[in-house]
Amino acid sequence: MLRKLLDNVEQKILSNEKLKKFHPLHDALDTFLYSTNTKTEHAPYVRDAIDLKRTMILVVLALLPAFFFGTYNVGLQSPEVVDKDFLTCFLYGLKIVLPMYLIVFAVGGLFEAIFAVIRGHEINEGFLVTGFLIPLTMPPTVPLWMLAVATIFGVVIGKEIFGGTGYNIFNPALTARAFLFFAYPSYMSGNKPWIAPLDGLSQATPLLQKSSNLDITYSWWDMFYGYIPGSVGETSTLAILIGAFVLLITGIGSWRVMLSTCLGLIFTSTLLNQLTGVSDNPMLGLTALEHFVMGGFAFGMVFMATDPVSSAQTNKGRWFYGLLIGFMAIVIRCINPAYPEGMMLAILFANAFAPLFDYFVIQSHVKGRQLSYEE
Amino acid sequence: MDLLVHYLSLATKAIFIENILLAYFLGMCSFLAISKNVEASMGIGKAVIFVNGITVPLNWVIKTYLLDDGALSWTGIESLASVDLSFLTFICFIATIAALVQFVEMFIDKFSPSLYNSLGIFLPLITVNCSILGASVFMDERGYTLGESAVFGVSAGVGFYLAIVCMAAIRFKLRYSNIPDGLKGLGITMILTGLLSMAYLSFSGIQL
Repeated sequence: MLRKLLDNVEQKILSNEKLKKFHPLHDALDTFLYSTNTKTEHAPYVRDAIDLKRTMILVVLALLPAFFFGTYNVGLQSPEVVDKDFLTCFLYGLKIVLPMYLIVFAVGGLFEAIFAVIRGHEINEGFLVTGFLIPLTMPPTVPLWMLAVATIFGVVIGKEIFGGTGYNIFNPALTARAFLFFAYPSYMSGNKPWIAPLDGLSQATPLLQKSSNLDITYSWWDMFYGYIPGSVGETSTLAILIGAFVLLITGIGSWRVMLSTCLGLIFTSTLLNQLTGVSDNPMLGLTALEHFVMGGFAFGMVFMATDPVSSAQTNKGRWFYGLLIGFMAIVIRCINPAYPEGMMLAILFANAFAPLFDYFVIQSHVKGRQLSYEE
Repeated sequence: MDLLVHYLSLATKAIFIENILLAYFLGMCSFLAISKNVEASMGIGKAVIFVNGITVPLNWVIKTYLLDDGALSWTGIESLASVDLSFLTFICFIATIAALVQFVEMFIDKFSPSLYNSLGIFLPLITVNCSILGASVFMDERGYTLGESAVFGVSAGVGFYLAIVCMAAIRFKLRYSNIPDGLKGLGITMILTGLLSMAYLSFSGIQL
């Protein structure tokens, strides 16, 4: 019955000149409810909006563990929750996280739809992933209007002006996060924003404790399971690794990017560990394992760096791209006193350089082929 | 050893932290015009490194031994010892740069005609490239020594090279994008420059 209704509406839309413009809206609803005739057979690197649809939903599935734990953790960290059992904490977190999602999807979806109607392209689930990522990268106390502004910036400047999903250079969710980070730094860094409500208790994240030369009050396992203050989705390395597993077995996330990002992390942190005697910078002493579970490193590596659109497109390029992310993240964390966390900027920086890596890989390939042809 | 570390940190600063294009937005004209093509961008990047590496120390010599207050005392002539010609600084810097670019142009024309053709009108444009004059003026303002100004000149050029090649590769990828008509070309490049400099902000704040 629903199928008939949708088909009827579609015919009406297509037969009417004035309504034709709004076909993308109908199409989005239709393909969301029913599967399309064409289906993805393999990895999502085919740049086709319809092929992307189903794989994007898998990414959202992979994000669910981080989402559930993050929501629970918001309640767990808050001093307002006295009774620390799972359900109370989760419901308290849901009261904070759910409005964030509503705002992001309402505002972002609206702008996505405006662009789709005016420019005549389809709405696709690319935004579903971006919208799902944005709240997870935010501190739980972020004001909702700020979230709305950031979402608009991420969707419009980060993606739509390049032509929509598949054409963007920078990861839209990270663009939104970076925009807020530079526009309203007091809401995005420091001791205050990590614990809801905003005016309550202030508690530093482990990275902040270390960079201000305090002892870290959390054990490694706490940081691994995620019982620490931080942005909503980034705290639990365990939940993120479950998501990474899903991405890897389905072939959606590139293992090359994840592996080389880890290698970059290990290489750089080991290198900097050698300098501990020379300088009194406390960050230099952090081992690779500690870097891995702190802050947004795991979250960025699994869900942001592997974004098939803004990462390098060639396999060799992906190695360099991942290495650059791992290197930059640790360099910013340890050497730049202005920012205790560097993952976001490291990925943006590598996004900017990814096309260059691709260019060099392709050029060297062309040259190699030329040489073998001449022989 | 200390000197080497000092030069290295100066170079890192000029290439990344205070990138002449993405932190000071100098030299935008050729940046926007040439970054359409990766090969040509590499060409102009090399030209900027070369020209900067020579003009900045050369301008240092001119400034220190001809233009500064009392700089002419080395001549031994008493009436010259108190002359202050520093009001001529900008004019002299520009003249040095113009003469040198002319030289580079002839040099490239002779030894690499293909590069010469790909650079076209833009090589003479380096003469009026703000990043070249900017590097010399920064050298003057920050009171660098001769060695420092040589390092600074080269690394400011390297910063320019990195930024323009990176931008060219991004625009190469953007050829497949579906950009709104009004933003095609310069519009999207300006926005990209903004996003790129946001990515470069990751270095701001590093103390060396």
